[in-house]
Amino acid sequence: MWRIWLLAAAQFLGSLVGAILLVSLLPVIAHPPDGLWPFVTELAERFLKIGSGDFGRSAAGSPAMTSAWAAFPLTVQLLGLGVALALLMGISLGFLLSAPRAIRAAAPLLQIVTSVPVFLVGLALIWVATPSFHVITSADEPDLALSIMVRHGDWNSAWSAYFLPALTIGVAGAAHLQMSLRRAAAAAWMAPYRSGLRMMGLGLLDINLRFALPEIIAALLRDARGFILTLISATAIAEWIFHRNGAAVLFLNATASHDWAMATATLLLFAVFTLIVGFVGDLLASFIVPEDTL
Amino acid sequence: MSGSLSYFGAGRHVSNLEVVSRAAGVGGLGLLAVIVALNNVIARAPAGATYIAKRLLPPGSDAVMGSDALGRDIMSETVHALAVSFSSAAVSTAIAIFIGALAGFAAVRLPLRMGAAVRVISGILRMIPTLFLAVVLVALSSREFFAISVGLAICPEVFNAGFDRASSLARSRHAMYARASGIPGLTLLRRDLVYELRMNIVNVTGRALASSATILATISFFGFGAIPPHRDLGLLIAEAQTSYLSNWWCALFPALALVVLVLCARLAATDDSGQPS
Repeated sequence: MWRIWLLAAAQFLGSLVGAILLVSLLPVIAHPPDGLWPFVTELAERFLKIGSGDFGRSAAGSPAMTSAWAAFPLTVQLLGLGVALALLMGISLGFLLSAPRAIRAAAPLLQIVTSVPVFLVGLALIWVATPSFHVITSADEPDLALSIMVRHGDWNSAWSAYFLPALTIGVAGAAHLQMSLRRAAAAAWMAPYRSGLRMMGLGLLDINLRFALPEIIAALLRDARGFILTLISATAIAEWIFHRNGAAVLFLNATASHDWAMATATLLLFAVFTLIVGFVGDLLASFIVPEDTL
Repeated sequence: MSGSLSYFGAGRHVSNLEVVSRAAGVGGLGLLAVIVALNNVIARAPAGATYIAKRLLPPGSDAVMGSDALGRDIMSETVHALAVSFSSAAVSTAIAIFIGALAGFAAVRLPLRMGAAVRVISGILRMIPTLFLAVVLVALSSREFFAISVGLAICPEVFNAGFDRASSLARSRHAMYARASGIPGLTLLRRDLVYELRMNIVNVTGRALASSATILATISFFGFGAIPPHRDLGLLIAEAQTSYLSNWWCALFPALALVVLVLCARLAATDDSGQPS
């Protein structure tokens, strides 16, 4: 077990260094110096600066990482709500559709639903919410915390600022989750040990609870990185459509205006976040089903 | 219509659902390709032509899919935008397959474990969402090359899948027998590639096409993609965003065209469980 954890820690550190190197490349490629040696020197300089936490100043003049960090909590709040909704919808849907007959019956419908791009889901939610619930989404709304809105009973603002974006993210996450769950379930149902255990006299419920369920949960945890990548993309889209000033929109605006200091800072935040989620997912999976390799 | 495909010694059951889904997907893509090829014939107005019809006309006999605030015929605009989206997605898919899938497949056989090193780099790129990578590549190059940028952004994902698939093939029983009997690595690679192309090319292409079409539309929706007057479906929907609450037809028909394009690509890549593999 320790060998697996050490390997995971080494992978984590290697990936972190790789992520810093990757984001260091951006400003250097955007304004490449003449010649290979100046290129390498500037890249090394950037790498060391970013490694020590100096991302430079954004186009607005503020330290890039300070601005990115200030916008990150809103994104994390949306992501958190999105994860909760995705788990609620995705796990129930995935288990319902994991039975072979259900897969056959629901497959065409699911294909259509999962073919809808996330930004269309967001637009559809606004289209439904505006006339039905009189929810108004506008760029002028202040970026208040969800707790303040709920405390003041401002449900309209809470709906447009948090719940609708979170629902958009949740739908994207649920689509990813139910697919992972169905794949994991299909692999568990087809595992060769099942027939052996049946011959040994174990009941189907016993086999499913003691052997199949841990494998399914471990497979989902190993896919945590893919899940969070889907959610981050969906968060960028939700923040854009619902006019939320989170870190994802900050990244899009910074990239559009070629503000590479800000783009680098936000991109590294997302990369590290993904890395941590993937690392924790791998560790938890190795707890549940110990394997030789992560 | 149900049968069994033998692939590297393992029998794979092909259900009726898979056959029907694939046929629907490939047929749908074929139909879309015909519409795209004949877009100037099918559309009654050239791309971006204003005041063809009255402003904000709902769907009816005068304009089948209605008109927008500038009097543009939505049906014509949707057909032209579909042509731009489809051709851009085809370019991105071609790049993803040639650079991503084939390189991933060949990288396993590179000497000095160079393939594993490339796989590590590709793994690091996968820490960033494909959408973000596409946006960065467009910003670093130019919006004119947005289809190429999206193709390159998808490459790490396709490369990893190709590499992992080729790794499992390289460790398979037939590969061990081949190596033991002195068959050169290049011959083995050629043999695996031929089988892979024959069995999985539609799957890989369908998946890459669905991803490309979705990401292209999304980055155009953000304003990083297609440049007017060559508007694609994402840009068409973005332009309708300000008025679609009252004039739903401005966004609905381009959105439906996009969903149909992605759906056909995903159906073409359907595996036995009725979902994209």
